[in-house]
Parts: sequence; structure tokens; C-alpha cells
Amino acid sequence: MCNVQEATKQLLDVNLHENWRANQVTESGPRSESEHLQVTIGATVPTGFEQTAAAEVREKLGSSCKISKDWGKIYFDISVESLAQVHCLRSVDNLFVVVKEFKDYQFKETKEEVLKDFEELAGKLPWSDPLKVWKINTSFKKKKKHKKINQNSGREKIDNGQGDKTDEKEDKKGFTNNTLDSHILDYYENPAIKEEISTLVGDDLASSKDEKDEKEETHPKVLKFRVTCNRAGEKHCFSSNEAARDFGGAVQDYFKWKADMTNFDVEVLLNIHDNEIVVGIALTEESLHRRNITHFGPTTLRSTLAYGMLRLCAPQPTDIIVDPMCGTGAIPIEGSTEWSNCYHIAGDNNPLAVNRAANNISSLLTKSQIKEGKVSWSLPIDAVQWDICNLPLRTGFVDIIVSDMPFGKRMGSKKRNWNLYPACLREMSRVCKPGTGRAALLTQDKKCFTKALSGMGHVWRKVHTVWVNIGGLHAAVYLLKRTPQAFVHPSEQDGERTPW
Amino acid sequence: SINPMEFNPDFLACMIPEVEWALLLEAADTLHLVEVPKGLTEGYEHNEKFLREMHQVLLEVEVLEGTLKCSESRGLFPISWGIPNMPLSDEE
Repeated sequence: MCNVQEATKQLLDVNLHENWRANQVTESGPRSESEHLQVTIGATVPTGFEQTAAAEVREKLGSSCKISKDWGKIYFDISVESLAQVHCLRSVDNLFVVVKEFKDYQFKETKEEVLKDFEELAGKLPWSDPLKVWKINTSFKKKKKHKKINQNSGREKIDNGQGDKTDEKEDKKGFTNNTLDSHILDYYENPAIKEEISTLVGDDLASSKDEKDEKEETHPKVLKFRVTCNRAGEKHCFSSNEAARDFGGAVQDYFKWKADMTNFDVEVLLNIHDNEIVVGIALTEESLHRRNITHFGPTTLRSTLAYGMLRLCAPQPTDIIVDPMCGTGAIPIEGSTEWSNCYHIAGDNNPLAVNRAANNISSLLTKSQIKEGKVSWSLPIDAVQWDICNLPLRTGFVDIIVSDMPFGKRMGSKKRNWNLYPACLREMSRVCKPGTGRAALLTQDKKCFTKALSGMGHVWRKVHTVWVNIGGLHAAVYLLKRTPQAFVHPSEQDGERTPW
Repeated sequence: SINPMEFNPDFLACMIPEVEWALLLEAADTLHLVEVPKGLTEGYEHNEKFLREMHQVLLEVEVLEGTLKCSESRGLFPISWGIPNMPLSDEE
């Protein structure tokens, strides 16, 4: 079968030349054969934010996106040279390169027939271009990993030297807690968290693994792979496990790769949503969503979600952006790196939270300092401890408020929300600039929020709602616009009814 | 401490009109800062020296340990590790 030979030969060729060509591949871009290679990239994004992600792709890559019926995924075409920029997108969690898309796959009647079709499918797919992309992508990651190792050892030195912002005991405690007591962290984010933590803390492991990889590069390496199948739909007569198993078996026969569930080089994706099937190869392993946060709190928000919420508010240069319940600071930190021509203020009433936020900010600064190798700029962000119901901010000073409000499940309580939410909305309406101000507020307690908002029609107008899924909880991001009506202090309203 | 930050004249142009000069000068005095403009002068938006001095005092100077004093309510708010603690009561 010449296809197999071709594919294998290509991979072998690249492997043999890997050593002296490695630098060329990463620094001067793809080689001449793949110069004008156009590929379709798929990206997973927080459900509900597909449009926001599509806008980012259009803005940064100039490509238009197709949003699939399979929620939380967008697709766009790029030329391979833009691959590095794709990794810089802030609204995407994971990336993959599309091998083939079936818009209307015809499933046969019985399970045996369907699975047999999957087996036969493996050999008929156009693997070579996507694999080239995977190859280029892997060399990016290797470079990035080396950088990360240097960062980590450097960072640890700095941490020990300066005695850090909070007292060292709390800092160390934070780390030990994260590695040992993972049940404190967001339960649904665990795999991503563990990976990121092990990248930060386990530099020894990472560096020794990398050395081993480099040795292997000199000999043609047998690739290890696994197949991940995501299936959604009511009419399927098979399970995702069965599909993955049989498809995977055929892939193994076709490429002579080794199957390995944990230490794989290639992750093949089989995404099935009703009659739509997309076969892809993963380009990311650690999810991008925890990138800015090194000090976790009990309910830390995904950076991709934070980015989406900020983007909804369309920040303009010189805007003042505040998160009055910042927790670990996920939102303002994301804001200060992406919209650095705005000023960001992170505040919380809990000193532990504010400390964590400050730690995250300084970690970010230290990380970039080491990367650049010189003194880098400070970020336009500050942390304050305050009470959301009485903010030490001037009336009408703030342009944008973005916050993840206590759901009442892991933080606070539903009962407390009945009092908190109206008070929050009121104080937020005071500090927010009338006419042009806006707010994006995330909450799972939709009932309470809607009720609180209903009494504030004179200052807040709801313009959009994004339904999101936070670890299985159905939450919403409410985009509000501040009406032109000036804030009137309750004491000035004696006896008058404010018009709604 | 003074943390270098990227100079953004547009941002400063928006913020400078909002500054309460009496308070700024008093704070600068307490911190023993020297290069602080005394007030707005005509054509300040194009005065690079003025803008750079404002840039430093507004964005780069960071108080790590100290106290914020409210000019109206007389409330005192401590700053620790660069973080001010400002719980306000209803009158404030």
C-alpha cells in the first residue's frame, strides 16, 4: 500500500534530519514542501463563547470561522506559517488539526457494521498534511518546554531570594496544598490543573524526560498514539469506547504506531455529534485555560472564560476595568496582559484572595522577566482589599466591570446572595460611568440575579446573556449597559419614587 | 519602590484631568518624591517632561508599606505588601 509507505517514509525522513534541521524548522518556519500548506484547525472554546472566539480569530489571524453544531468548537483555515500565532489565541482551550470532516455521515444499521466502517475508514483518510502540521507543532512545544524549564529554575531562585510578597509560609503552603489536596481545586479542571502544576513544580521530571526524548530523536522513533472519541447524539448504536477501540486498532495497523494511553506522541480525535464526524490530531496537551494562574483558589475561573467575558465588553484604550470580587485575580490578570492600554483593578474582601491575586500578578511578572532576560515592564494592574458594597472608588470612575459573582454553591450561600446581589448591583451602578459604562457578570444563581436586576432598570439595562457551562453547572454571563441616568444616593431620594 | 512601566501618553491624557492636585501633591510630599509637577499647565498634553513625570508618579511609584488617609472621613487604611486594605463604613 503506497499510502502507508509514503506516510512512513515522510515521518522517517523528518526524524533522520531532525537533529540538524530542528533549528531551521522552528526558526525559519516550515520547509519548502509545506510552505503554502493550508490546513483547517479546530479549537475548543468555552460553550457560549463561540462568537467571541470567532471574533478573536478574525481579528488576529484574518480567518473567518465556522461554528459547529457540536457546541464549544470552532473551525478556521490558516496557512501553516500562522501556526505559532494560533497558539497565542486567548479564547481557545484546546487546538487540533482536522484530518477529515464528514458533514452527514451515513451510519449503518448494526453496531458491527458501524464499527467495521470505522476500521476501514482509518486507511482512507488524508493523514499526510495533518501529520506534517503535527510535526511542526511538536517542535514548537519542545522549544517551549525548554524555555519553561529555564523559567522554573530561575523563578524558584527568585522566590527564595526575595521572600516573596506574602509570607513564605503561606506561599509554600499554597503549593503543597495544590499538589496534595487537589480536591480543594475546581473538580472539573483537575486534569488541566495537575498538568500545569507538574509543569511548574516538577522541573526535574520534565528536564529528565526531555533529555530522554532528545536521545530518541537520533534514531527513527516509533510513535506512540491514542484515540480519544467524543460522542454526542441519541441515535448511535455504539459507544465512544467501542469506536475509539476499533478505529484505534485500524490506525495502529495502518501506521505501525504503538498504542499508549498515557505517554502518547499523537492524540487522534474522533468527534461524533449526531451525523457530523470530525477526525483530528490534537495540537495541545496541557489545556491553555490555566495559563496565568499559579496560585489557585477554591473557585478559580478559566483564563479563556475570563478573556471571553472581557472581550464581550469591548475594552477601549484608556478604559478603567474593575473586578470587585476578583478572587485569585483571573479576570484582571488576563485583562492586563491582553488589554495593556487599559488600567485594571482587582479587589476582594477576603485578604487570602487578594494575596493570591497579588502573588499571581508577581508570578506573571517574574515569568516574563526571565523569558525576556531583562527587566520587563510592570503590568497596568493593582490589587486592593475592599468591600464590594462600599467601594473606595469615585462615582462614575469605572468604565467596565467584569466579575465572577459568588454562585452560592462553593463560595457564599444562596441565602446570602439575596442580600448581596442587589447591594452589589447598586454599588456597581454608582462607580460605573453612566451612558458608556458596561458590566459582564457571571453567576449560576440566575434567579437571584434576575430578581436583583429587575429593581435596577433605571441604571442597568441587560443587553445580552451568554449561557455557559461551568463544571456541569448551568451558569450565565449577563452583559449589562449602564444607562445615562446619574447615580442618586438613596439619602437624596427622600419620599420620591425613582422611575424605572 | 519604583516599577518601570510602558509609557502610554493617551492613557495619561485621559487620567490627568481627573487628578485631584492637592491630594496628589500631599501624597507625593509624604513619599518624598521630587520630580512631581505642581499642577496643570497650558499645553500639558504635549509637554513630554510633564507627561513623563506624571507617568512616574501615577503609574510607576508603588507604596509597599504605609497608610492611606482619607481627606474627608479621616479614615486610615493600611497598605501591606503593596495592597491597601479599605473596608468602608456606610458614611464613607
